[in-house]
Amino acid sequence: MSLLEVDDVTLRFGGVTALEHVSFSVDEGELFAIIGPNGAGKTSIFNCLNAVYRPTTGGVRLDGVDITRMKPSKTAQLGIARTFQNLALFNNLTVVDNLMLGRHVRMKTGFLSAMLWLGPAHRAEITNRMRCEEIAEFLGLSEYRDLPVGVLPYGIQKKIELGRALAMDPRLLLLDEPVAGMNLEESELLTEAIVRVNAELGVTTVLVEHDMHLVMDIADRVFALDFGVPIAQGTPEEVRNDPKVIEAYLGEMADNG
Amino acid sequence: MTAPTRARRTIDVGLFSVFAVFAVVLIALAIIDGTKFFQSSLAGLAIGGIYALVCLGFVVIYRATGLLNFAQVGLVTLGAFVAFNVVSTWGLSWWVAIAVSAVVCAIAGFLFQRFVLQPMTGAPLFSKILATIGIFLFLQALVEWIWGTGAASGQVIENPFMLSTFTFGSTPMLRIDVVSLALAVVLMVAFFVLFEYTRAGLSMRATAIDPEAALAQGMNVNGVVALSWIIAGVTAAVAGTMLGSNASPNVGLNATMIALVALRAFPAMVLGGLDSPLGALVGGVIIGLLESYALAYVPAENLGQFAAVLPYLVMIGVLLVRPFGLFGSSDVRRI
Amino acid sequence: MANATAESAPSPMPAATNDSDNAARKALVRRDARIFTSWWNWLALVIVVAVWFVAPMMVNNEWARVLSFAGIIAVAALGLNLLTGYAGQASLGSAAFMAIGAFIATYMGRAVDDRVPGLGQPFTVYLVVAIIAGGVVGFVVGLPALRLRGNYLVVVTLGLVFITVWVIDLITRKNGVTVSVAQPPNTAEFLGIDWGNAFNFFGMREPAYNGEFRYHGLMYLNWLFVGIVALLVKNVVRSRPGRALQAIRERDVAAEVVGVSLFRYKVGAFVMSSAIGACAGALYGLHVANLKPTQEAAFGNSIGLGMSILVLTVIIVGGIGSVYGTVVGALIIGSLPEVIGLFSDKLPFIAGPGESGLSAAVFTAMLSAVLLVGTLVIEPFGFAGTMRKIKVHYLQRKTAARHDDAELEVTSSSQP
Repeated sequence: MSLLEVDDVTLRFGGVTALEHVSFSVDEGELFAIIGPNGAGKTSIFNCLNAVYRPTTGGVRLDGVDITRMKPSKTAQLGIARTFQNLALFNNLTVVDNLMLGRHVRMKTGFLSAMLWLGPAHRAEITNRMRCEEIAEFLGLSEYRDLPVGVLPYGIQKKIELGRALAMDPRLLLLDEPVAGMNLEESELLTEAIVRVNAELGVTTVLVEHDMHLVMDIADRVFALDFGVPIAQGTPEEVRNDPKVIEAYLGEMADNG
Repeated sequence: MTAPTRARRTIDVGLFSVFAVFAVVLIALAIIDGTKFFQSSLAGLAIGGIYALVCLGFVVIYRATGLLNFAQVGLVTLGAFVAFNVVSTWGLSWWVAIAVSAVVCAIAGFLFQRFVLQPMTGAPLFSKILATIGIFLFLQALVEWIWGTGAASGQVIENPFMLSTFTFGSTPMLRIDVVSLALAVVLMVAFFVLFEYTRAGLSMRATAIDPEAALAQGMNVNGVVALSWIIAGVTAAVAGTMLGSNASPNVGLNATMIALVALRAFPAMVLGGLDSPLGALVGGVIIGLLESYALAYVPAENLGQFAAVLPYLVMIGVLLVRPFGLFGSSDVRRI
Repeated sequence: MANATAESAPSPMPAATNDSDNAARKALVRRDARIFTSWWNWLALVIVVAVWFVAPMMVNNEWARVLSFAGIIAVAALGLNLLTGYAGQASLGSAAFMAIGAFIATYMGRAVDDRVPGLGQPFTVYLVVAIIAGGVVGFVVGLPALRLRGNYLVVVTLGLVFITVWVIDLITRKNGVTVSVAQPPNTAEFLGIDWGNAFNFFGMREPAYNGEFRYHGLMYLNWLFVGIVALLVKNVVRSRPGRALQAIRERDVAAEVVGVSLFRYKVGAFVMSSAIGACAGALYGLHVANLKPTQEAAFGNSIGLGMSILVLTVIIVGGIGSVYGTVVGALIIGSLPEVIGLFSDKLPFIAGPGESGLSAAVFTAMLSAVLLVGTLVIEPFGFAGTMRKIKVHYLQRKTAARHDDAELEVTSSSQP
């Protein structure tokens, strides 16, 4: 059953064509990977998926609902959570606050009920903070909880951004190079976390990744593109052996054999 | 990201019709009472020249730093009073007064940039704007301290043009007003040349776009910024002296009055475009004309200080419809 | 990372189901969700209330007026802090909303009289009307403000001040009357007590009628409002809407990505901030309507750009994004103009009224400017910012120390 459908999306800025006739679908519960060399347009796809960019032609549907022209905040409310390659954390806020902002779409407290701090408002704070504590523990962030995110090392920040996305209880999790810049150990731990979230909680996950090994290990299906144009789609095995993919990744493939 | 839409075109059509209506009204007024219209036009050009001068200072700083510089307003006040001092207390010529005033304001501008703005490099934009507001406040108070709150009110800086006039037909126009306008035009041309054709001007543009990159290229970012403040100081001094030399009823050597007038150059800046010297001139003149017409044709009993508020109303109108003004470049919003 | 992968059906994160762990977590969360996170705060609160009760009894009328004004500035600053400090929307417009509140207060509160327009309404009525009016105007201003950033927003709010004052002037000039004129609302009944001229210290003292308006009642009233507004603001700030505002301040695109509706929260911040500003204005109308014309100092006693700058100075010096800092800042800065005036004879370089030289008003202006600029240069986040930096520094050292200890443990895999 398709949760996400990308339908013939083309994205142009001025004279540059970032994406051309991109189509794929992601089933519920899948772990789907998008791969391609630098500048291939992977992040552009993501930007179209949560309505940060509006495609020039084509559309994106979540569970049948057309989200192409929505505001990003509306897509978040519909259950799309996303991380950024270069991080988009709230640097002066603490780890807890960043995670709690992930809960924003799952809470209902508005100005009025907050001002008066009615019973439901207080209970909502407690319940949701508990969730954030659990997420923090799951990702090993507890000891940093009261520190402002800006002072923390890059690897920790990446985990916080993942945590914030998880806090949204997403139906669709979009992770843009979630382990970029991490060392081997950190990256293995985080990958394990992602796999567990997908396997045990059934969160549909779309991953943008550079590292072919990682992707081949964990993805259910893979989509490859180069210069904004799709070049292959299918199981990891199929894609790995596709001649066009091999050509695009010429150097890397030669090393990995 | 979006192509020119129907909305944009509707706005453009709407704007055009507004201008058309306005032009018709003006022509009608001119026909009804030609002398009055001519007189208020000239007065409008005069005050417009001063707005343009102040606004040029705003634009220079904005181009170099991306800041709104409220301190400029304070420098105008300072410039006016220093010139007054030179002429009245020291008995020197008006031209010397301008020169001295320019030097004083340039130095003041440089000092403020060096000791207030430079240490704040990297601070958020609003903090820096607030700092300029603080400097503005400080300068106003300083002027009131040194020269007293009301002492110089009603006086005017004596100048060689004082009451002498050019006569257009049967309408006199104060020479001083013509000089203001002429100076504004000259300075604007000078700035345009500076920005487009000199290395300093190029560095300014680079610095404004990306200070870090400019620094990496070996440009003296701080020097460029300091230069812009010095230029702004000079412009402020000239504007202030013009204001102080002008004997028309709405001006005069009163610190608060001068500040209120100079503040109206902000709407001129928005109208003309935040980063355009031509915009500063055109915007200043338009605002000046509008204000002058309002003064002449809108009775004060009914609408109070309408003329003083009109620039701000125009500014809000511009912001709603065409935020980058007449000649400004549009903002690039990066995700 | 977590070890137990057992059930945990209700809680979706594979987490420890260890009871004591859960209890510890809950305690931590409970502590975070409280309004005061340590008992020191409660003690401070008790002291503050005690001071509130006792101080007006110990001051003369001059000081009562000064501190009463400081309270008004505190309320306005709390509102502005929400908009500028938390939501990050630059605004020079506080004076506009205060003017609206003041106008409504004096117009509606004055006794009905042929010579001067007044509606003779009680305090609670015109206060509510002022707040609603402020909120509505805030909404109208907030809508276009959605599209404006930084520089543009500053000049728009600048224009707003001038335009608002002009409109009010138009409305009031028909009878040649402006806001701060005699025939003030002398009474202000709130919660059953008259805090105006007839204030009798909760029944302990006979009100003194000697022709001059006594400000002690207003001093109580204004600081009572400071407490109420501070509570409301703090509640907003420490919960979901407050976090949303801060997210917008930090990185509004990212805020949208996590689902914060920029429309709802930017406009909401404007509305709440302007409603509070109008509340301060209503209190101000009550306060200034009782000033004799000679008591009006040049700085801060009429509503205009100067007032906006005063309120901004308070939140900068006190600390952007801090409720405590704002209140302390207001106390200091708000009383500054009057304090200097009171001490003008003691300070040799300050000339008295009528003498030439440095007048108290001008000196105050200069001092405020220096404070504002000084704070911005040294610590852009103000007093509260310095406190926060110290706290973070301390926390960082604690975390680092814990890391050093952890090195000694044999790697048990999961915990990084």
